Amino acid sequence: MSTIEATPVPRSRFFFEALAPGGRRAFFLLGTIATCLLFAFPVFWLVLTSLRPGYAVYYVHRGSDFTLDNFQEVLGQEIVLKALWNSFAISTLATVLSLGVTVTSGYMLSRFRGTIPTVWFGAIYVFRCVPYVSWVLPLYFVTRAMGIFDTYWGLLLPHVAVHICFFSWIMKGFFDGIDPSMEYAAMIDGCSRWGAFLRVALPAAVPGLTALAILCWLYTWNEFLFALILTAQNTPILTVVMAQFVHELGMEWHLMSATAVLALGPALIVTIFGQKYVIRGLKI
Amino acid sequence: MAGFRPFAFDEKKRFMLALIAPAVLVLVFFQILPILTGANASFRDWHLNDPNKTWIGLTNYAYVVRDREFLSVVLPNTFGFMAASVASSLAAGLMIALLLNRQFPGRWLVQTIILLPLMVARVIAAIMIRWMFNDQFGIVNVILEAFGIAPVAWLTQKWTAFFAILLTDVWLWTPWFALLLLAGLQSLPPEPFEAAKIDAASAWRTFRYITLPMLRPVIVVCVVIRAIDAFRTFDIVWTISGGGPARATEVFSIYAYVEAFQFLNFGRGSAAAVLGAIIIVVFAMALYRLLNRWVEVSK
Amino acid sequence: MAEVVLTNVRKTYGAVVAVEDLSLAIADHEFVVFVGPSGCGKSTTLRMIAGLEDTTRGTISIGNRVVNGLQPKDRDIAMVFQNYALYQHMSVYDNLAFGLRNRRVAAAQIDAAVRNAARILSIEPLLERRPRQLSGGQQQRVALGRCIVRNPKVFLFDEPLSNLDAQLRAQMRLEIKELRQRVPTTSVFVTHDQVEAMTLGDRIVVMKDGLMQQVGSPLELYRRPVNRFVASFIGSPAMNFIDVNVTAAPTGFRLRADGVDLELPQRRFAGLGAHAGRAVTIGVRPQHLRLGGAGEVEHVGLSGKVMVTEQLGDEQVLAVRIGAGDIRVAGVDPELSLATGTRIDVAVPMDNLHLFDTASGAAIR
Repeated sequence: MSTIEATPVPRSRFFFEALAPGGRRAFFLLGTIATCLLFAFPVFWLVLTSLRPGYAVYYVHRGSDFTLDNFQEVLGQEIVLKALWNSFAISTLATVLSLGVTVTSGYMLSRFRGTIPTVWFGAIYVFRCVPYVSWVLPLYFVTRAMGIFDTYWGLLLPHVAVHICFFSWIMKGFFDGIDPSMEYAAMIDGCSRWGAFLRVALPAAVPGLTALAILCWLYTWNEFLFALILTAQNTPILTVVMAQFVHELGMEWHLMSATAVLALGPALIVTIFGQKYVIRGLKI
Repeated sequence: MAGFRPFAFDEKKRFMLALIAPAVLVLVFFQILPILTGANASFRDWHLNDPNKTWIGLTNYAYVVRDREFLSVVLPNTFGFMAASVASSLAAGLMIALLLNRQFPGRWLVQTIILLPLMVARVIAAIMIRWMFNDQFGIVNVILEAFGIAPVAWLTQKWTAFFAILLTDVWLWTPWFALLLLAGLQSLPPEPFEAAKIDAASAWRTFRYITLPMLRPVIVVCVVIRAIDAFRTFDIVWTISGGGPARATEVFSIYAYVEAFQFLNFGRGSAAAVLGAIIIVVFAMALYRLLNRWVEVSK
Repeated sequence: MAEVVLTNVRKTYGAVVAVEDLSLAIADHEFVVFVGPSGCGKSTTLRMIAGLEDTTRGTISIGNRVVNGLQPKDRDIAMVFQNYALYQHMSVYDNLAFGLRNRRVAAAQIDAAVRNAARILSIEPLLERRPRQLSGGQQQRVALGRCIVRNPKVFLFDEPLSNLDAQLRAQMRLEIKELRQRVPTTSVFVTHDQVEAMTLGDRIVVMKDGLMQQVGSPLELYRRPVNRFVASFIGSPAMNFIDVNVTAAPTGFRLRADGVDLELPQRRFAGLGAHAGRAVTIGVRPQHLRLGGAGEVEHVGLSGKVMVTEQLGDEQVLAVRIGAGDIRVAGVDPELSLATGTRIDVAVPMDNLHLFDTASGAAIR
């Protein structure tokens, strides 16, 4: 028989354990508050700066005059207005196009077996792994050659290209989770393959598509590198304009932050309202 | 039946091809074509202001590989930044995930605040940090002065600028780590933890010997994905320091961009881009294998 | 001494009562089995003894020490979980040693204890392996090993055999019984399988809806179930129940229903007196029914029609329709060939007749 005596559990030397439950809870509380402050502070500071008039930007933390003039001035600049509109249009169009192009691709990968799907799946897998730093710079030339540089199409099509591999793979996952027997039943009932896809499979995938649409919109709205390389004066994009302001506006941080808050606004709204759709859609 | 086969075969195949046709087109023209163009450019003497595109073989690559700037500044910067960023956001994300794994009043609020960085554009985050670390009026220096410490010229010295850039990246990526690690934590079975309670394991020992080993697969995947991404960082470095001062904080993607669009040597920029692509692919595979072996050993 | 005493233990989750006022005294070295359907509160009770759940009311004491406020690690218990709960990333040796290492026991002592436990359970060759490399039965033995190694006051088992296939379950039952002879620690065992309860327990606690229905030795529960639920739960195949009406007759009691007409003597079934004119349920185990009339003394008879025959090789089981319902008769000669519809008579000794109040389910003595 074992000879181990029942020993009392020794008090831990580790600081954390040594705290009484009350002390431990206080430790957690402090930690939580500190973390929340660290995360929220930059955004809070930015919003605060945007509300202070130009002369007060030098002591944002003191004084109490607030104004909306910064926003007025920033919105008065044509480039900002154009950039706002362009970013919005590009985000929306890119989302629609990306989803449209990849939903059929994902559907094909999910429903069919054989050479074509295997080859396509392989291609997607390989090109998903290619770091896009190696095709971003040349895109400048490709779009120039096609004559679409610095236009909507010149930005939209590359954005769609970025999403093809990743979204096709995710769409495949969505459709894998939808029972194909419904489509067979539809085809027996007289639908063509297209009809079965459009009327049975697609509606069933809407929650997932909504989630992806929201994430895609947010991604495109916040995207920087493509916008920088593929646009110039004709098609100002918000993120690029902001980066330019940083280097050009020097000390005019009140205007800088007002522009940033304007860019933040739609993202926040879409996130807050879209959050539950994203969670629901990706649980498929 | 044999007579039917060719027709049905075709119709199905046509459908399949129709489904992927637009995607294939976009992929070919806007991903494959640029990749080939870039590869092509890297072997040529291709300047943006000069129509000549003479073939020069591996000269561009040779230049980049021998460029002291590249070897002694850019690569160490990039790998150092990658390591620091991934390690910090992993640690912070893990702590936050552990925190969010419990129930406490106000948890929803805490969760929303911590997910804030996910909706902020990276450029905006960079702008916020740049403003906060402004050497004359930034809030950080104001606070330091209040404590009697001399103000720091954050963005005009290499290491302090790097610190600001690192802080931005960690601020942006910790919520991502936290979310994925939280999902991992919540998928762990509760029984080993109950057994550990009975086995008198302290919170630390439970974390070290039970939680952490079970989380290893999730951690490995997160680390590899994030490392690849960190290597390609461009936007926040560009916005905060522009790669300066005097190219001191330059990372790999900025190096390629600068060569192509500021020195107008598109050939060399492309060569740098291709080299970087090769480096990251090799590194990612090695990292993945190394980490997997670590997970396997513990299985 | 390692008695476990539960006094008026109650557990509620908000409005839901999981365990209702449970009191039980488990003697030192006793093996008590908690059995019942899902949701009856047996696992909750076990977890309260372990300290993984708090009691809403009532006290639990282990070895004369009230443990209500104590952490699981301070209660000197060990537990075997349904899905083993082994530490997947540690070797079997480390799994066994973990609890002792946490308690800062000397390495030499740990080694001795681990090897001793491994020897008892015949898992010595597995010490360097990982749980993933072991079979279900081996993993369960390692889980048992974790208990032995620490030599606690009480072993707690939370449905440990439920994840094993039938054959392995039977084998592990034997191993647990053998283990008991070598390591006779006080044990509390939870299961939903009445066969495990009957074969393993010194005493069985039958639970339903948070309430203790009956406590007793296996034979007690089998022979003298205190209500209809216990009667139907213990014993396989399950007991037959027939609802009848009781009327007082000059020599005793008359029990009547569609297809049933029995007379029971007064002095033997005196308890029926209070139920005259009311509905009563007769309980008879299939094994106690014999084919043939109630010719012998101390027997009562029923007659009905054969509906289904099940051939089991060494016996037949018949489903016999009496009135509106079917009863099962076991132990019938397998050679007998009975066509559907055949009228037959069955008899049961009065000793094996159980009577329950139809409304409350309580046994009538």
